[in-house]
Amino acid sequence: MNLRIFFFIKLLVLAFISSASALVIGSDEEEIYIDANFSGKNLLVFGAFYSDPSQARDDKSDILIEVVGPSEDVVIRKKESFFGFWLNSKSVGFNDVPGFYYLSSTNEITNEFLNENNIGLLNKKDTQLIDWSALNIDWGNIRNEKDKESFYDALIRTKEIEDVYRKVNGEIDIIDGNLFRSYIEIPNTVPVGQYKVNLYLIIDNKISNEYSYNFMVTRVGIEEAIYSFSKNYPLIYGLISLLIAILIGWSGAEVFKRFRKV
Amino acid sequence: MSIYLPIAELSVNIFLLLSLGGVVGFLSGMFGLGGGFLMTPILIFMGIPTNVAVATSANQIVASSISGTIGYWRQGLVDFKMGGVLLIGSFFGSILGVWIFSKLVALGQIDTVISILYFSLLTSIGMIMLIESSQVIRDRVRRKTVKRKIHYHNWAHKLPFKIKFYKSKLYISAIPPIIIGFVIGILSATMGIGGTFILIPAMIYFLGMPTSKVIGTSLFQIIFVTALVTLLHATTTFAVDAVLAFFLIISSVIGAQVGVLAANKLRGEEIRALLAIIVLGVATKIALDLLVEPNEIFNISVIRALF
Repeated sequence: MNLRIFFFIKLLVLAFISSASALVIGSDEEEIYIDANFSGKNLLVFGAFYSDPSQARDDKSDILIEVVGPSEDVVIRKKESFFGFWLNSKSVGFNDVPGFYYLSSTNEITNEFLNENNIGLLNKKDTQLIDWSALNIDWGNIRNEKDKESFYDALIRTKEIEDVYRKVNGEIDIIDGNLFRSYIEIPNTVPVGQYKVNLYLIIDNKISNEYSYNFMVTRVGIEEAIYSFSKNYPLIYGLISLLIAILIGWSGAEVFKRFRKV
Repeated sequence: MSIYLPIAELSVNIFLLLSLGGVVGFLSGMFGLGGGFLMTPILIFMGIPTNVAVATSANQIVASSISGTIGYWRQGLVDFKMGGVLLIGSFFGSILGVWIFSKLVALGQIDTVISILYFSLLTSIGMIMLIESSQVIRDRVRRKTVKRKIHYHNWAHKLPFKIKFYKSKLYISAIPPIIIGFVIGILSATMGIGGTFILIPAMIYFLGMPTSKVIGTSLFQIIFVTALVTLLHATTTFAVDAVLAFFLIISSVIGAQVGVLAANKLRGEEIRALLAIIVLGVATKIALDLLVEPNEIFNISVIRALF
């Protein structure tokens, strides 16, 4: 399977040889189905790059793969101690944050580069102040810059623990100088919706070429059917839940009655 | 073997679920308690979100109280008129309860409020059971039989809107049962309990109902309160997990039958004392979760996502 793919890419590379730097990518899936037994999946992203026909890939060129999941609104709450009780107090709402974010590069990419090119979400370590205006945030009663940052850090930290935010390097295999492939781990906690894959070819610290494509993550199976039914027809769902309870409760009493008489 | 719960959105071990339902059902069959007061906190300890635990417990209690009511009804021990008057109060109580519940979810305070409510409830139940069972054991050792007099206040007879309850041989105002029903409705909607252990003493001491009719009547009204709470949660908080409820119902109905059989053969006091200790243990765990500084003081909740 892989051999065939690479042969195919080889052909494509030859076709692109005329242009100065070319980028071709593909993926083994256009849609990922998540059912109850889904335990995660390694999504294969592969492609070819060609910076100069006369020479193979040199150390100055890098590949960056970014995967951005569907956006969601979240609230981060901070617990504080009130008379010994730890209660939720201050909260910040982050709107339109990606439900999944993955950034992978051949070599480590500096944050300056990411900031300059508007790539990345986890790129704040080196910058003194984050440009909050780029994000849609409801700060509530938080004014202090340091507090703002602690809430933002908490968001990233929680998402990293959930395995839905990841930043890695050195996980892209370079084969034969001009071909690359990478397995992107999609854990079973990912949200459903449309995902965007952005691929960048970086030469001499500049984006020389980029390419994007989309794939879908969809939930399937009986569990998904129950979930969407409960959202779309809540009253009928509630009545069915009741009916099940009544039937089992009733038949339990009947079975017991007979059992007792014997 | 794990099963994925579609509303709670997590996988749990199926045998763990069945044994939880079985044990809670056994205890409820044995002691005539609903068992919701143990079911909800244990579900929360298992990682089930608080709103799902509360709403699904209510659904499970519908099944167990139907099972129970049928038995008492056959023996003519259900006062339907009293149950109906209680229900008038419960109807408004549970609507208010679900409204409070969804406000607390929006404020992010539901977990804390539920923890404090459960801590108070379990501590009082545990202490009462422990004291009572140790007294009975002590009396048994001294070979004494204690006759307990049921005394009730007469103020329920002096209020207006008096109704005749033939079955319970009572002629009292409708106001006290409506108020009791109202409180039970709020507790049922916010905590996912039937409220037997509050309802039964309230019916005996405040309304002066005969003890024989109390359990059947309270179970009868609990069917409708928890049914209403289930419907309200399904339509407003979307937190009823049918898969979770199914496994809990199956195992608790079977557990309850075994519990009733066991109650006829075993001496209750020692087991009651053990149950009291379990209840106090759960209360302690809830208190620790509130008092010990958490490792992660930030927590996240997704408000809007594609589905």
